[in-house]
Amino acid sequence: MQSASSRFKPFAHEGMYKLFAELRPNVPIFYSPDIDYWVVTRREDVLATLRDPDRFSAVNATQPVTPWPAELMQYLTEQGFTNESVQVACDPPRHSRVRSHVQGFLNPKRLQGYEAAVRALVKSYVEAMKGKDVVDLVDALTYELPAMTAFLLLGVTDIDPRRIKSWTELRVKLMHGHPTYEEQMAAGGDLIDFWRFSCDLVEQRKIAPKDDYPSWLLASRGGDDTKLTENEIKSLTFALLLAAHETTSNASANIIMELLRRPDDWKALGEDPSLIPNAVEEGFRYVSSVVAWRRQAKVDFEIGGVSLPQGTKLLLSLASAGRDEATFENSEVFDIRRKNARSHVAFGNGIHFCMGAPIARMQVRMMIEELTATFPRMELIEDEPIEIAGVLTFRGPARLPVRLNA
Amino acid sequence: MVPPNIKLTFVSPEGDHTEIAGPAGHTVMKVASDNGIEGIAAECGGSMSCGTCHVYLDAAAFERIEAPNEAERDMLDLVASARQPTSRLSCQVVLGEALDGAVVTIPEQQF
Repeated sequence: MQSASSRFKPFAHEGMYKLFAELRPNVPIFYSPDIDYWVVTRREDVLATLRDPDRFSAVNATQPVTPWPAELMQYLTEQGFTNESVQVACDPPRHSRVRSHVQGFLNPKRLQGYEAAVRALVKSYVEAMKGKDVVDLVDALTYELPAMTAFLLLGVTDIDPRRIKSWTELRVKLMHGHPTYEEQMAAGGDLIDFWRFSCDLVEQRKIAPKDDYPSWLLASRGGDDTKLTENEIKSLTFALLLAAHETTSNASANIIMELLRRPDDWKALGEDPSLIPNAVEEGFRYVSSVVAWRRQAKVDFEIGGVSLPQGTKLLLSLASAGRDEATFENSEVFDIRRKNARSHVAFGNGIHFCMGAPIARMQVRMMIEELTATFPRMELIEDEPIEIAGVLTFRGPARLPVRLNA
Repeated sequence: MVPPNIKLTFVSPEGDHTEIAGPAGHTVMKVASDNGIEGIAAECGGSMSCGTCHVYLDAAAFERIEAPNEAERDMLDLVASARQPTSRLSCQVVLGEALDGAVVTIPEQQF
């Protein structure tokens, strides 16, 4: 326990899986003094916590790990930053009310309607790689594509995806990273720009509704603040502009990297694309882009024989849960044919289960389908170690250099 | 503590019958999971976001309980095994007197 506390480096991703594999048998929960959180290592406990919103609140899910300075808060207030926690970081009854509106748009059936448009996007990115010898797949595909898909949902056509990506990275760092005071203060202006972009989008749809997410929410609200307020819709739009692509960019890069590290797998998927959906699930299990998620106890509770008081902050290791031997045989082995791969927790569980899961799955699947079909002999260039960029909760390779061998 | 007095019979895709009693107020999904009934994946844990807790009810029980709402009907369009007239998402079916004696058949596949 003592050793777990000192050995766990919440912001470092190197060695994380190895440490958790060592801890899981005997250490179901341990304290991390670096962040003042208790870390939960077993799938069963992670699931039970996520499924129990009465005892475990989501209010801290996106709270800055490194508190924002008062000067930054004051600046944001002066600039009209009225973003509210309406989704991932809020509890019932508010969460139930808001989710009932969001579900009308972000549901599997409606998201399936984007198949053709997403396929066309993936094909266009893959087409652009043709004729090249060496490509960084992060730069050429996984970084931008999910943002373009998010734009389809939001009806956005007039902004460079790289701008949204850089705003997003900043927000992620402010919430889940450990920025310096200077970095926090410097981020204020960009954060306001990002917020205003979201607000403008909603204002435009009020005047001229389209077939997109903000228009849907406005219609669902029907001018009734007891159903959904305009500020809540702006906050939901601001949230989707991050959530709809950040995790999918990392997830697709993580999964493609694992596949390319196993050339036999890459070949097998090219020869039999019907294996791809399960390979995607195994990827979510083996290298979830969301490595951890946060909760706060509303009551005194016990996990793994340890009794803890109300107010305790919990870091649920989704990375560790995905490798839990109690559920996954030979859990440290990446196996694209694994039967119960879908039992991972990469999309969370319970009332906060990821509403974008169907379109995230669709994008990763299509990227792998198009890449394996177009570049069946693609090879990973791992001359030097690929850096895993990460914060407390997310991880993904910073680059993914490959030789196309077309 | 609500007594577990609502009786259900689960039928596996292979035809095996298992009788279980669950408390009123719990969902069929939860009762199945609490009693080790296999084949109801419920990967979202009951938030109507995944369509992997699909079951078939017997026709009489289906008629006795409240009909599925629009969101559930939409989700039932996407389930992996064939949708039938008495298909339900087990996370949306709550145990109560009207459900007593229901036969819950588990489909071949959830995804």
